[in-house]
Amino acid sequence: MPEIAVLVKRVPDTNAKIAISGDRVDLSSVKWVMSPYDEFALEAAMMHKESNGGTVTAITLGTPDCDKVLKDAKAIGVDRIVRVWDDSWSDLDSNQVQSALVSALKELSTEVVYCGKSAADTGASSTGPGVAERMGWASVSNIIGIEFEDAGVEVLIPRNIGNARTGVSLPAVISCDKGFCKPRKPNVKGIMMAKRAQVEVLGADIPTSSINIVSHTPPPQKASGQKFEGAGNVPTVVAALRNDANVI
Amino acid sequence: MVYEALDFYDIESECTEEEIMVRDMVRDWVDEEVIPNIEAACREGRFPEEWGKALGEMGVLGMTIDEKYGCAGMSYVAYGLVCQELERGDSGLRSFASVQGSLAMFPISAFGSEEQKMHYLPKMASGEWIGCFGLTEPDYGSNPGDMITKASDQGDHYLLNGAKMWITNGTVADVAVVWAKLDGVIRGFIVEKNDPGFSAPEMTGKHSLKASVTSELVFQDCKIPKDRMLPSVKGLKGPFSCLNNARFGISWGAIGSAQACFHSAKEYALSRIQFDHPIASYQLVQNKLSWMLREITKGQLLALNLGRKKDAGTWIPEQISLAKMNNVDMALEIARMARDIHGANGILDEYPIMRHMANLESVKTYEGTHDIHNLIIGRWITGIQSFTRTL
Repeated sequence: MPEIAVLVKRVPDTNAKIAISGDRVDLSSVKWVMSPYDEFALEAAMMHKESNGGTVTAITLGTPDCDKVLKDAKAIGVDRIVRVWDDSWSDLDSNQVQSALVSALKELSTEVVYCGKSAADTGASSTGPGVAERMGWASVSNIIGIEFEDAGVEVLIPRNIGNARTGVSLPAVISCDKGFCKPRKPNVKGIMMAKRAQVEVLGADIPTSSINIVSHTPPPQKASGQKFEGAGNVPTVVAALRNDANVI
Repeated sequence: MVYEALDFYDIESECTEEEIMVRDMVRDWVDEEVIPNIEAACREGRFPEEWGKALGEMGVLGMTIDEKYGCAGMSYVAYGLVCQELERGDSGLRSFASVQGSLAMFPISAFGSEEQKMHYLPKMASGEWIGCFGLTEPDYGSNPGDMITKASDQGDHYLLNGAKMWITNGTVADVAVVWAKLDGVIRGFIVEKNDPGFSAPEMTGKHSLKASVTSELVFQDCKIPKDRMLPSVKGLKGPFSCLNNARFGISWGAIGSAQACFHSAKEYALSRIQFDHPIASYQLVQNKLSWMLREITKGQLLALNLGRKKDAGTWIPEQISLAKMNNVDMALEIARMARDIHGANGILDEYPIMRHMANLESVKTYEGTHDIHNLIIGRWITGIQSFTRTL
């Protein structure tokens, strides 16, 4: 029975207003949630367990503030919750994050890893493939369907000309798009179990960072809309929709 | 339009992580399943059966009762937050949960035998069995002590005779907790839907709580086994204990209705342009929105403080009366003010305003009328009860 892991990340709520203070993003007053694609990864991991048995461990990386996403996963029904962190760490780059996660995955004897196709904050899509590379495992990304077999999984991956049904032997890292399943909701009993659950904290040896963030800047403001009044402007509006907006 | 709850005094920081998790679970469900479908349910005048099942699956029915009976053993603050989110959807939905948890399951858990608890509570917690509560009668509302419904001891069974009215869930209930006089003393009885001599016709023609089943309960020589009487309570203490729990939930639920109306009014005021500017930019509208915020915030603080007292066991019934009375009153006024801000649009079912307003007219009256709660507080102040007198 497989040891299944799901990587979950704490990110600002996708509806949160992100402010820049000085030259850094100010996240002090945002609401935090589990990255939405990770909810689909969590559901896929639970489906895998229900199909093939095994245990599901939810793993996140970060300070104790990140325990909430693990408790959310526990309320859904995962078996173990693990946070990877060392108090000597601060902002980690992708290389360090992937190295730390790989350390934990090896310690947990994981055989298959699920994750969201990208995190809602950075949108880098690097963690899944990066972890697979370091583990020397197969990597399938952006899946939109999955079926479970004895020795592996069969996933549906979108391609330019349609979808590719692809068989994958385990061990593997599988990153999940939305829409192929309905993430289950917690219930009160699950929440009470989560309340009592202990977060296991694992450290790791990670490489030195080779990058530093110089500054953050907000995205350019959208240009304000144009207003046309009167029937005489219809040709102008049609031309704008056809030539500028390319919608007709 | 994403719902953003008003939390001016950061009530959230006063709650535990699991209380917030439960609130968010229900909040998400209400946003996804209830709000898109509530107007249709009201037009059809029905309570969607699947909502009752969903409440059971979420585990919020009787959620303060002990885990050994299939419940969650959660705090009263968590229960209050659930009521708040349910009533943000619709008062009828919150009524369903209140009746099931506070009025039907609670008396069984508090006053029932161990056999009764093990038999009824797990199935009621899961939503498999629906419960109702029979106290009010056609001629006895605020003074239930004068009820006519009677039980008579027939040796190996009881016979119930009488009628109850305004019973939420009555027609769809599998289990009714009914209060009747046995030898002149009020006792609680568990009646099952197929008991001979029991019927529960639905009351129709409501302009309020349209997505909720309201019924009469009729007992004509209704025969029930001897083991269906609740053994551990006599007198009005039984039903009043249940009502205290339900009223507590209402004091939170009303905040949900008020939040829905405030949210809609704020969004409308910001987007509605009159005289070239959003109406939210005018002082009269800002004054109304400010008043709404003020009242909701006071109601939240009242409910939270009461909830903590309920969890600590340091509450008195008069505190529940104050919270129920105040919060329903403020919610109704906010609904009316929100309708005013929405102008003519406020009467349409595109907005939740009139539905909440009409619902709150019922909520103001049921579970102890606004005036009766004033009299309960008046008695606490003066030491003089004003309910009965000899004329």
